[in-house]
Amino acid sequence: MNIAVDISAIWPELFMAVAAMVMLMYGAFRGEGATRFVTWAGVLVLVVAALLVLAGPAGKTTAFNGQFVVDAFAVFAKVLLIAGAALALILAQPYNMREDIKQFEYPILIVFAVLGMMMMVSANDLLSLYVGLELQSLALYVVAAIRRDNLRSSEAGLKYFVLGALSSGILLYGMSLIYGFAGTTSFDGLAAAFATDSDAPVGVIVGLVFIAAGLAFKVSAVPFHMWTPDVYEGAPTPVTAFFAVAPKIAAMALFVRVMLEPFGDLVAEWQQVIWFISLASMILGSFAAIVQTNIKRLMAYSSIGHMGFVLVGLAAGNETGVQGILLYLTIYVFMNIGTFACILAMRRQGRMVEDIDQLAGLSKTNPYLAAALAVFMFSMAGIPPLAGFFAKFYVFLAAIEAGLYVLTVVGLLTSVVGAYYYLRIVKLMYFDEPAEAFDRAPGREITVIVTVTGLITMFFFIGLAPVLDGAEAAAAVLF
Amino acid sequence: MEELLLEYLPILIFLGLAVGLSGLMVMASVVVGARKPDPEKNSAYECGFDAFDDARMKFDVRFYLVAILFIIFDLEVAFLFPWAITLSDIGVFGFWSMIVFLGILTVGFVYEWRKGALEWE
Amino acid sequence: MIELAVFLPLAGGLIAGIFGVRMGDRAAQLVTVIPMLIAAILSSYLLWHVGIQGNERTIELFTWIDSGTLELSWALRVDTLTAVMMFVVNVVSSMVHVYSVGYMSHDPHKPRFMAYLSLFTFFMLALVTADNFVQMFFGWEGVGLMSYLLIGFWSGRPSANAAAIKAFVVNRVGDFGFMLGIFGVFFAFGTLDFDTVFAAVPEVAGRTFSFLSMELDIVTTLCFLLFIGAMGKSAQIGLHTWLPDAMEGPTPVSALIHAATMVTAGVFMVVRLSPMFEFAPIALTFIVFIGGSTAFFAATIGLTQFDIKRVIAYSTCSQLGYMFFAVGVGAYPAAIFHLMTHAFFKALLFLGAGSVIHGMDDEQDMRKMGGLFSKMKVTASLMWIGSLALAGVPFFAGFWSKDVILESAFAAHTGMGLYAFWAGIAAALMTAFYSWRLLFLTFHGRTRADDHTFDHAHESPPVMILPLVVLALGAIFSGWLAADYFVGHHLDEFWRSSILMTHNIIEEAHHVPKWVKFLPIVVGAVGIVLAWVMYIAKPGWPAKFVAMVRPIHSFVFNKWFFDELYDRIFVRPSFVLGRGLWKSGDGAVIDGVGPDGIAAAAKDIAGRASRMQSGFVYHYAFAMLIGLVLLASWFLFGFFG
Repeated sequence: MNIAVDISAIWPELFMAVAAMVMLMYGAFRGEGATRFVTWAGVLVLVVAALLVLAGPAGKTTAFNGQFVVDAFAVFAKVLLIAGAALALILAQPYNMREDIKQFEYPILIVFAVLGMMMMVSANDLLSLYVGLELQSLALYVVAAIRRDNLRSSEAGLKYFVLGALSSGILLYGMSLIYGFAGTTSFDGLAAAFATDSDAPVGVIVGLVFIAAGLAFKVSAVPFHMWTPDVYEGAPTPVTAFFAVAPKIAAMALFVRVMLEPFGDLVAEWQQVIWFISLASMILGSFAAIVQTNIKRLMAYSSIGHMGFVLVGLAAGNETGVQGILLYLTIYVFMNIGTFACILAMRRQGRMVEDIDQLAGLSKTNPYLAAALAVFMFSMAGIPPLAGFFAKFYVFLAAIEAGLYVLTVVGLLTSVVGAYYYLRIVKLMYFDEPAEAFDRAPGREITVIVTVTGLITMFFFIGLAPVLDGAEAAAAVLF
Repeated sequence: MEELLLEYLPILIFLGLAVGLSGLMVMASVVVGARKPDPEKNSAYECGFDAFDDARMKFDVRFYLVAILFIIFDLEVAFLFPWAITLSDIGVFGFWSMIVFLGILTVGFVYEWRKGALEWE
Repeated sequence: MIELAVFLPLAGGLIAGIFGVRMGDRAAQLVTVIPMLIAAILSSYLLWHVGIQGNERTIELFTWIDSGTLELSWALRVDTLTAVMMFVVNVVSSMVHVYSVGYMSHDPHKPRFMAYLSLFTFFMLALVTADNFVQMFFGWEGVGLMSYLLIGFWSGRPSANAAAIKAFVVNRVGDFGFMLGIFGVFFAFGTLDFDTVFAAVPEVAGRTFSFLSMELDIVTTLCFLLFIGAMGKSAQIGLHTWLPDAMEGPTPVSALIHAATMVTAGVFMVVRLSPMFEFAPIALTFIVFIGGSTAFFAATIGLTQFDIKRVIAYSTCSQLGYMFFAVGVGAYPAAIFHLMTHAFFKALLFLGAGSVIHGMDDEQDMRKMGGLFSKMKVTASLMWIGSLALAGVPFFAGFWSKDVILESAFAAHTGMGLYAFWAGIAAALMTAFYSWRLLFLTFHGRTRADDHTFDHAHESPPVMILPLVVLALGAIFSGWLAADYFVGHHLDEFWRSSILMTHNIIEEAHHVPKWVKFLPIVVGAVGIVLAWVMYIAKPGWPAKFVAMVRPIHSFVFNKWFFDELYDRIFVRPSFVLGRGLWKSGDGAVIDGVGPDGIAAAAKDIAGRASRMQSGFVYHYAFAMLIGLVLLASWFLFGFFG
């Protein structure tokens, strides 16, 4: 064991941990006045961490007795989730100032959560997986309830906590079953065990189902999705934006790694589980969203549906599938952050409005915002040549390659249903009588993010090739 | 596989002992103890709830705060015991790991102190 | 040069159509009229170059369709037949273009009108230059479309829209036959190329195929189907009902499309396909019957109508009948000859009528005219020329062509030929009568117009008169000039291979008894005299006569009740059926189960899905556990399969 190699593999995590603690101390001694500074410091920390990730060791490196792994897949996912988190953090800045969320802990918790996610992504052992997952989850429980004086926020935090604890319990139970029957928690060890003995014991299968269920909770796949709408609606909007992006990426990356690395030889066993939750997520995500009136709830169902589409790629269980997943997640980050930036701009006389009906006639009162939101909605509906189309295209390509025709057909049909509620928003904005105008100047940060993510969503096809190449390289390491 | 499970035999024995012993103690108090209930005795402790009441009620969160803070340091001690015993086996790496852990705990402790979590009022 | 003659109208039409509003009325008229005039001059030269000098050729432009065994090229096939048609189309069209500049001077949509006219001309040229069935069908449908657009040009009038729809729908009936015919040709011959098909006809002739356990002769069946298409386009009895209604369109349209060119496309088609029809004698007999009947039947209606344009329209219908029975007895050159002369004098008559209407503030009812000769001498004289040609008065154009048709019918020496001959003689009598009835009612006698209109009645501007003069020259001289080539001694070297006649009926026609030759002239004269008696000498007689034969008159006046009959048999049941299918079929079943049903189901599912979201943590936790148990069970027992 060479400690220097170990440390070199975890530079970004190490840096983030130390920086977060320094920020915590700074905040603790400076009080609430430090919030603004700490927020931007948090963004900076994330950016530096991303650079450190990119500067990390080339090729696959394991550290700390195989607990921790750095490979192209981890790097891709990490950069992505850091980008999502950083954007969400920037978005939160004007909102928190306005809504009087003065806790300097907010950015620090975000950084801790990202740290946990990075550990998840790099986990190479069931134990380090669990530690990373819990670090992430605990931080998320707190940020969901960051507005302690707000009933809905507290409720959201509490629900998330209780159900999260339940899912952690399920996950842990599954791990113990695996360990009990396989005798190891190391991914490499598990992979080696199943490679020779393809007829896995029942305990391992049950444990696998439990692990899948625990992870499905994190990506809010049906039927473990129930927390999502309530938490999305109750949590402060920037928190929701963060929830919609970073944890989903981390959990999905983890999901992919767990299913394909240690249990890669049991594809036949877990494929039908993923198949089912993917199918159920796509169906529920598209149908339940139709009757929603709150845009954040709508986004919750939308994210459930999107996770269903992503899981199609996992169900395919092939390299194209993983490539599709990574592409999908990349696009998903920008579409979602952009949409939430638009939602954050929905403010009337100093108060946030979240009713979808309030968007009526936005094209007349605020054409720029309406155009941007329309782009995001079209993209989410998967209309070419916007980014969302390519996302769906590649996962379905993988599914067809894997012969999952039912899943593909249902997926396409549900994306039609999904298009209904996305386009309803466009219709409201462009064809209905204008409601009262929103407040001008939602904040420079929001305008910039809307513009940048909007442009990326619109012109994604220009940069499609390099992203695909990156995703392909990342996917290759899992096979 | 059998060998692996055999390693857990002491835990099973320990569990059995713990259950047996605690059961014995409870039973003993039931059998031996003198009971003279009065309203004052039946009422809850000042920190707790009525023993037989609706679970959905308001309560003072401060007791839980103290309890949670206690648990953290309790766990720290629980970690320290095995660490101290196996220090010779895990060597320098083990030593510094625990120091780092303690350092992180200290940061948390400083934070809660600064936030005033340790003050009752 | 051929390309120019075909595509100049297209260019003009497109330019006027796309940029018309921006370039202004005058410019739009110029970009359509000038290319048309050039095209007319070019095609006049082509007629000489191809027809008389014999330089026929086929120009392949590009491969159009190459799909499996179906291979089609876009080609311009210019033989004598095509050259004649191009000449007729381009000359009449260019005259109508010029005329329209004056006639439509008060219309706000001049560019659109001119564009339609030019595009129509292009489609017509595409039809006549076709080298295969599909290209012909392209032109065929194109002219149908432009006809629809032009009949409904004054889209503010409900009657115009109704007439446009009627024309389109009735034509679809014919087109259906035409399409089946084309499919059948491809089925039987494996190609749609004219030359290849024609070469193969003698082999295929006599072969049969089974349909509904009937043995049908292939070529005969195909010819029947193709002829149904021709019947629709050329308004033959049964499918003629759209033509009189089509007079809702502006008069230049009636002249160009519904007299000179489009309606003759059916005749052209049958002549073009003469190598096929010659091998289908039964189909030819049927054509004779239809043609003769139409000639007679349309003429009877023409006797009774009062709308100046409708009289001419029925006359057109009747004359088309002549052409068809000429085709039917195998006298294809005679049919084309009559087609050309008819194009000139009928366009002249229509444009003349348009000139009258224009001068009379859009009045079309002849009962409100009369005595207009003094007001519009030129128009009246030209209308006289047109009528003389129509009635077949010697040495005018119609005389040459109509006579040879009637003689051919007689010379056929078949029962059906004689039927057609006598129907034609009767029609000739009536033609002369209604033509002079029209002239007398319009231009002579005492006026029945109100003072205001009569005082304001005026001669049309030169831009309208000039085309009339050109057409009148055609109506006077075209028969005399062309007779030798079309149906005379130079017949064979003129038509060469463009028309196939298995036996030369024209030759026989020249040797019919003398009385056959003179009979048309005699009945023409009788008709004219009769008209003079009835409308000039004894103006009270028509009313008395009508009272005497009231049932017959009302039968004829109501156009033999064809419209009513069709309304009963086809239109109303269609409406009932359509309404039924709409309400119960589409509305209840397809919408109910399909879009609406799915949408309602989606809403329902959505409602259920969101009701599951109760808000209670223990419900959520329960759902998670249920899901977990289900998944694990599925795995362990595989009870879902």
